[in-house]
Amino acid sequence: MIVPALIGSLPRPIGLAKKLEQYYIGRLDERKLEEAYREYTRRAFEKLRDAKIKVITDGLYRWDDIFNPFIRFIDGIEVNGLFKFYENNFFYRSPVVRGEIALKENPIPEWISIAQEIKEDVYPEATLKAVLPGPVTLAYHSINEYYKTLTDLAEAYAQVIGELIKELDVKIVELQEPSLAAEISEATKNIEDRVDKEVAKNIIEDLGRIKKLWVVTYFGTPQVLPEGVILNVDLIEGSVPEEYSGEIGLGIVDARTTKMERADRLRDKIRKYLAKFETIYVTPNTLLDFLPESVAWKKLRLLGRLGGE
Amino acid sequence: MELPILPTSVIGSYPKPRWLLRMYKLRELGKIPEEDFKEAVRDASISVLREHERAGIDIPWDGEMGRSEMTEYFTSKIKGFKFYGPVRVWGNAYFNKAAAVDKLEYEEPLVLDEFLWVKENTTREIVKIPITGPYTIAEWSFNEYYPDKESFVMDLAEIINKELKVLEKHGAKFVQLDEPAMLNHPSEVPLAVDAINRAVKGIKMKVGLHVCYSNYNLLADYFDEIKVTQFALEFANRNFRDMDFLKKLSNKELGFGVVDVHNPRVESVEEIRQAIKKVFTYLEPEWVYINPDCGLKLLDRKIAYQKLVNMVQAVRGVRKELEKEGKTTIEFRTLKDI
Repeated sequence: MIVPALIGSLPRPIGLAKKLEQYYIGRLDERKLEEAYREYTRRAFEKLRDAKIKVITDGLYRWDDIFNPFIRFIDGIEVNGLFKFYENNFFYRSPVVRGEIALKENPIPEWISIAQEIKEDVYPEATLKAVLPGPVTLAYHSINEYYKTLTDLAEAYAQVIGELIKELDVKIVELQEPSLAAEISEATKNIEDRVDKEVAKNIIEDLGRIKKLWVVTYFGTPQVLPEGVILNVDLIEGSVPEEYSGEIGLGIVDARTTKMERADRLRDKIRKYLAKFETIYVTPNTLLDFLPESVAWKKLRLLGRLGGE
Repeated sequence: MELPILPTSVIGSYPKPRWLLRMYKLRELGKIPEEDFKEAVRDASISVLREHERAGIDIPWDGEMGRSEMTEYFTSKIKGFKFYGPVRVWGNAYFNKAAAVDKLEYEEPLVLDEFLWVKENTTREIVKIPITGPYTIAEWSFNEYYPDKESFVMDLAEIINKELKVLEKHGAKFVQLDEPAMLNHPSEVPLAVDAINRAVKGIKMKVGLHVCYSNYNLLADYFDEIKVTQFALEFANRNFRDMDFLKKLSNKELGFGVVDVHNPRVESVEEIRQAIKKVFTYLEPEWVYINPDCGLKLLDRKIAYQKLVNMVQAVRGVRKELEKEGKTTIEFRTLKDI
C-alpha cells in the first residue's frame, strides 16, 4: 500500500511572515499572533486534506529552522552564529554547548496539542506527527564546548529529547536526522569528531521505545539503520540500503527543484519497492521550506495522487 | 593611487529607510508612478551614502537601496528567468528565487545606473560596487532549462563579464563579486573559480570576492588561482575561530569582517581593535582592509550605523599604533598589479 505523507516543514506563508514582522516591531500582540498561527495551521490542514496527504505535520510554522526555537529551551546552550544548512541558501542558528544540557520548561507540547485539536476539527482521519530535531543531527550542528566527544553530546541530546517526547500528544514523533545520511555539509565546516554509529543507532532505538519514531534522513543514503522505526530515505540524493528491511518512507518528490515530476514515472519508481515493503510512505525528499509555497503545494498534490495502490 | 592603511569599506547592503520600504510596498501594489519610486530610491541612496561617509568609511556604497535582494535583483534583469514566489532564507527573511526557464541573455546594464548615481554624489574617490557572482546566481536559482550546472553558470559568467566591462568603461575602480554560495558543493568549487575568472576576463580594475558563512578551508586551496585582488570574508560571526587558513593567503588582500551582521549587539571599539590585532598574526597590515562581516541590511538602521562608527574608531586607534612603525598608507592595488 502507498501512503502519501508529509515530512518536516511547509513553506511559512508570506501572510504569516507579515504577522510575525508586525509582532516583532510591537504592532501585533501575542494573542493575535497565536490566532494567526492557528488560522494558518487550519488552512494548511485543509489543504493537506484536499491533497490527500494521510500522515501530516503541523508544518513547523512556529519554527525558524529545525533547531530553533527548541534549542532555546535547553539549559547549557547559547544560540549563536548563523550557519548554512547543508548546501542550501537556508541558514540556522547554531547551538553552542557551554555546559551540561537539561530540558527547560517549553511550549512545544502545547503547540502539538493545539495542532491536534485543529486536525481533529478539519482532518480527523489524518495522523499527526510531532517534529523534533534528532540527537545526532543536533550534535553535528552544535559547537561543542563542554562535552568530551560529539558522541557524548548526542547521548545528552537524546536524554533531553526523550523527556520531551513523553509529553507530546501524538502517537508518532518525527526526528529530523539528515546527519544519519550526510553528517554535516563540508561546505559549512570541517569537523574532526564523529558520532559513533553504533551509539547513534542505540540512542535512536532507545528513543523509539518511548514513542513510535519516524526518522527522516536526507541528502544521501543513511549510514545508520535504526530498528523499530519508520526510516525515511531520500531517493533523489540517496538510496535505500539493501540490508534495510524495516518500515520505510521514500522521499521521491524533489523539494529542491521547481521542475515538476511526472506521476507515471514516480509510480514506476515506487513499484519496485512494493515487492519488499508492505506499506510505503511516499514523501518529499527533504524540507518543503526550500520551495516557493505554490510549487510546494503542487508537489504535495502530486504526492497525494500516488496514494492507495 | 594611495589609501590610508587599513582602508574601511562595507560589503554592500544597508537597512533601507522605513519610508523607502513603504515605497517598495506601494510600487508592488501598483500605487505609485515608477518615476516617483526611482526618485525615492535615489534620495535614499544619497542618505545612506552620507551615513557611510559620516561614519568615516573610506570606500562606501549606497547600501543597495535600489535592490530588492542580492539575487532577485539580478535575476529580474536577466532575460530567461521566471519567478514562482518567495522562498525562506532564514527565520522570517525571504527572497524571490527565480527559475531559469530559457537561455539567459544580457539585455540591459545591471548596476550601471546605481554606480553613476553614487559616483556623482559621493565625496569619496573610490566606491565599491557589489555584484552577485555567476555561481551564486545559479546556485540560488532553480534550473529548468540548462542541461547541466556548468552551462548555466558559464552563461551567467559571460553576462557578468559584459556588465563589468560596461562599468569599467564608465570609470568604476572597485567591484566586489559576491559569491556566498561558491563553496556549497566542494566538487563544484573549480567550476565556481572558472566562472569568476571568466567574469573578470579582460578587466583591469580592482576586484574583490566576498564569501561568507562557509568552510573557508575549501576556498584557501584556490587563493592563488582566483583572479581577484581581495577576499572579503566574515569572521565576527564565527567569533574569530579557525583563522589558520589565512596562512595560505599571499599577494592578495583580505577584507576582514569585524562586526557580526546578524547580531544586534554593537561590538565595542576595543573588541574590534583586538580582532584587528589578531589578524596581524596572519597578514601584514598593508594587506588588510576592514569591513563588516556581510551586508548590514537585516539590522536596525541605528545599530548598523553604530557598528560602522565603532569599526572606524577601532581602525583609527590601530592606525595610530601603525603610524609609529611608519605605516600610514597603502597602494590601491588592481588586477593589473597581480
